[in-house]
Amino acid sequence: MRTSLATLAYLASLTSAARFTLHIPANSLVNPSSLSSTTHATLHSSGAPIDAYLTRGNSFNFFNISAGSYLASVHCRDYAFEPLRLDVSVEEAIEGSGDKKEMIRAWQTFIGNEWDNKGESRGEGGNGLVIEARPVVKKYYYQERAGFSPLSFLKSPMILMALFSMVMIFGLPYLMENMDPETRAEFEEMQKSSPLAPSGENPAAKLQNFDLAGWMAGKTDSGPSSRGQSPAPSQSKKRG
Amino acid sequence: MRFNAAVALAACLVPAAAIFEDDAYHIDFHHALLGLPKHDATFFQKPYAASKASLLYTISENHTIGVINPKDGALVWRQAPSPNANGKGLLRSGEEQDTVISAIGDGITAWSASDGRIVWEARMDGAVVEDLEILEQEDGITNAEAKDAIVLLSEGSQGVKRLDGKTGRVKWSYQDTSGDSPFQVSTSPTTIYYISLHTPLLGGSKLKVTSLSPITGKKIDQYTLNSDSEIQDHEHILFAGANTAAPLLAWTDKTNKVLKVNIIGTKAISTFNVPSKDAVEKIILHAPGRVNSLPHFLVEYQTKTGHSAEVYHVDLKKNIVSKAYSLPETAGKGIFTVSTSDANVYFTRITTEEIVVVSSVSHGILGRWTMKASPTLAGSYPVHGVSEVVVKSGSASAVRSAVLFSNGQWALVRNGELAWTRPEFLSGAVSAAWAELPEEETLAHELEVEGHQNVVSAYLHRIQRHIRDLEHFPAWLQNIPIRVLGNLISKSEESAIDEIQHDTFGFHKLVIVATKNGQLAALDVGSRGKVVWNIDLNQFSPETIFQGPSVKALRGYVEIRDNGFGGSLFINTTTGGLLSSRDIQVQPLVAPEGQNLVTFDLVNGDLKGFLGAQPSSEPVWNFNPPTGERIVSYTTRPIKDPVASIGTVLGDRRVLYKYLNPNLVLVTTVFDSARTASIYLLDSASGQLLHTVSHNDVDISRPIPSTISENWFSYSLTIDSTSSATSRGYQLVVAELFESSIPDDRGPLGASSNSSTLQPSEALGDVTKPFVRSQSYHVPEEISYMTVTQTKQGITSRELLVTLPASNSIVGIPRHVIDPRRPVGREPTPLEASEGLTKYVPFIPFDPKWHLNHKYEVVGVKEVIASESGLESTSLVFAYGLDIFGTRVAPSFTFDVLGKGFNKVQMLLTVVALFIGVLFVAPLVKRKQINALWTI
Repeated sequence: MRTSLATLAYLASLTSAARFTLHIPANSLVNPSSLSSTTHATLHSSGAPIDAYLTRGNSFNFFNISAGSYLASVHCRDYAFEPLRLDVSVEEAIEGSGDKKEMIRAWQTFIGNEWDNKGESRGEGGNGLVIEARPVVKKYYYQERAGFSPLSFLKSPMILMALFSMVMIFGLPYLMENMDPETRAEFEEMQKSSPLAPSGENPAAKLQNFDLAGWMAGKTDSGPSSRGQSPAPSQSKKRG
Repeated sequence: MRFNAAVALAACLVPAAAIFEDDAYHIDFHHALLGLPKHDATFFQKPYAASKASLLYTISENHTIGVINPKDGALVWRQAPSPNANGKGLLRSGEEQDTVISAIGDGITAWSASDGRIVWEARMDGAVVEDLEILEQEDGITNAEAKDAIVLLSEGSQGVKRLDGKTGRVKWSYQDTSGDSPFQVSTSPTTIYYISLHTPLLGGSKLKVTSLSPITGKKIDQYTLNSDSEIQDHEHILFAGANTAAPLLAWTDKTNKVLKVNIIGTKAISTFNVPSKDAVEKIILHAPGRVNSLPHFLVEYQTKTGHSAEVYHVDLKKNIVSKAYSLPETAGKGIFTVSTSDANVYFTRITTEEIVVVSSVSHGILGRWTMKASPTLAGSYPVHGVSEVVVKSGSASAVRSAVLFSNGQWALVRNGELAWTRPEFLSGAVSAAWAELPEEETLAHELEVEGHQNVVSAYLHRIQRHIRDLEHFPAWLQNIPIRVLGNLISKSEESAIDEIQHDTFGFHKLVIVATKNGQLAALDVGSRGKVVWNIDLNQFSPETIFQGPSVKALRGYVEIRDNGFGGSLFINTTTGGLLSSRDIQVQPLVAPEGQNLVTFDLVNGDLKGFLGAQPSSEPVWNFNPPTGERIVSYTTRPIKDPVASIGTVLGDRRVLYKYLNPNLVLVTTVFDSARTASIYLLDSASGQLLHTVSHNDVDISRPIPSTISENWFSYSLTIDSTSSATSRGYQLVVAELFESSIPDDRGPLGASSNSSTLQPSEALGDVTKPFVRSQSYHVPEEISYMTVTQTKQGITSRELLVTLPASNSIVGIPRHVIDPRRPVGREPTPLEASEGLTKYVPFIPFDPKWHLNHKYEVVGVKEVIASESGLESTSLVFAYGLDIFGTRVAPSFTFDVLGKGFNKVQMLLTVVALFIGVLFVAPLVKRKQINALWTI
């Protein structure tokens, strides 16, 4: 590529005046006739970029472009366009004939990549070549304001936590009430044996003093808690 | 610190702080300007033949073609094909055409009249278009489809060319090799007249008229008029042809004593004496621009004290020009405009007091309206204008005129009432500064007074101040219901068009803008850029020709400096009145005791530092770039650049200490032959070099903008493609300075209790230099200017504001996107991710959500200035150049103010609902408690 660039640089010294057109085709994304007249295309190689404004025929006309390798970009307020690499060179149409003609080649290019990293070809030909300038995406300038919606309200963790505790406080005693006596006795037994069983003691303190190793080893007594208070009154209180 | 980290995290989690759709067009404003319109290229015209309404077309003095809707003054389209082209800008339009044709420099372009797209382009390489006319008729037949253009070229290939109205191809060309200076072309239905000035070695110029065949371009006839006794200069020719029914040639002598008129195509010259007794300063000839209108014209005479006019009729059969009637002289400034309706010609006289419409046939007044006074036009007078007149049954029923006023406002006056004004003078803005509003200033001043007094008198002073403040209390109380209701109902309106008086959030700040030719204006950024006052600096120093004054804001006044005069002018910020230096206590730049002031300036290509406020002969330090390099620009940290945190907190709670030096200067140099650009970071107190970086393959013909803030700087380059560069396009480089590369380490200066700014590295050597981390990115567009947002405390994360001339926009790049500590080549570790760092990618696409200007197209921005507002979250931004644009940005979101998304009604309803709930639940709970007591 180094050599080809060198030849390009050499060719640039030759006088050439290529002319070609970038055309915006009508597609599903954009109706090109609706684009604003400030839409313009630039060719950049060295020095000030060459500018062309949008014509009635939805195209950008470039005249008298000397040989070189150009970065072509279309600037539009409403749509983003893909950047193109355009190489203009003067070549012999038939080798050895000495008859020199301008050649224009266009490829996709990727900003932030090496210049030699060319994409798909977008056209190749002599003077008067028409190259498609494709819009890629519509530009959205505004941020959506997060409005109030009941679903997002319910999704918030604070609300979920509140709802859960509501269920625990109001729903659970009601469930217990409606259980048949046998299951209830079983459940109460289970709760008693659980390390987090509600007793008169501060549950946080109990949690802190919880003997995990002992519990895992299958110790069944009421643990280190010395202030052994019968759970029964507290349970009856709860039911009341 | 933690708060800062939380804010930074908040900024990272959400992609970008974009503009909300309901805020757009409310928090920002945009004056889409053209520049001062040119008289001969301003006209009302229908955009296409079947159109009902006409638009106002113009080309301005800075070669911008613009189309204005005459109803509301809104811009329909504008184009600036080549703003730097020499030659005059011309704009013409044929009758019933859907194109307008412009000629600027060597380019002739036909634009679609309704939307501004190009129809055809023609380039006359090396030549300059001197005149442009539309061939309305050819052998008496109107070619309705596309009328051809006739252009007159000078320099390069002097001559006349006819361009096809459909394609722009040259139909024929007539070469003129005589060496006469070309002046104008004029068309008649049968002939094209080419008028040139034949200047012999001695004496004045002779007018040479060459008639050409419109079909072939061949010379039919040529003759010269004996005008050499009068015409010394182009300026003495008043009028030449321009597509009228009677192509005329009128000129005057040096002293404006005599008026000579020739009907083109004949050799006879009619001579008229100028009527006025006073010396006439200016003679202007107004003739209708339509082929089928009556051959009448008006000559306007302007004297120092007043103006008058005479109306002449041309008899085409006898080739006689005769005076019909005269309009009496009135004192004061005034202008005349000409308008046509079918074949009738009407003249409108516009003065500061009234508008009068007369017919060209007789001097009877068809309509008269008094001008309603308006504060925007106070003290100004009309300069030139165009009119449209509606005449019904012998009397003018309506007239509208687009008038340029002497204070640079372009206004439309409809039946004496001001329909709209456009502040076109602002298009030449060269300098701008934020001014503090005087109320805030006085409060700050009073607090300062209190601070310097002893406790008792300070307390008394304070009590007095509070008692004085009580006088505003009743008004404030009265306003409360309105404000509360306004808050609840019309949320959109009040935030935008609040008056300066109750500016709770400090959004109403004045920007003082100076234009190139010495106009000074104050704009209120909070009230959509309203012009608060507007003065002409020439009234304070009449001899000065301003060459781009610079503005510097001081407390309550601004200082104006210009190369055109020695001293400086002091202007009151609130009123725009001149202050003499006795009225104000100019605070001279005096350093506190025990400290010295070092100033620096660019002297003969070297950056030199001087001791004391004035550049003396003996520099303290001198920075001259290496041989071959030249300094192109230098930037400093903003004077007010608060830093909230002295370090960057890492993910593992360790701290990287920022290198915070208030005296940082970033110098940009270029090496022309080697195509390299170098960046030097200096300490302006000691002149020491702290950091250097050099870039190869830089297109040095393109701008290299740079900015520096806090502990980081950035600049942008264009990669030169002529060399074998591996990539193309534009680069943005960001570098951050730290005291040390190791976290929790403050470098060698960490342990020492004091250090010298003048000799920072004397004792410890190079180790005191900052540790610099930098990263560069590809950006999709060229950056022409960059600056950084500013907030009150510097807690809010900053945004890098860059202007993109190619897409006419201003983009705010969030700071965390261009953090030089982004990990390269790997995914960030969880600790880095918790800091908000993302993996380095070599390309930063400009997200449309970063565009501050959203759908506005801000053309020709020269500079962007940012200022703090009353809120920590918000920074005010103002851009000037050709257009004027202002907005406010919140890089970390508006965390200290409720946005429009906050539904106040909903909040109130929730409170009400909760209250009702409590009312219902309270008895239930009480009953339960009582029951519980009884059950035990």
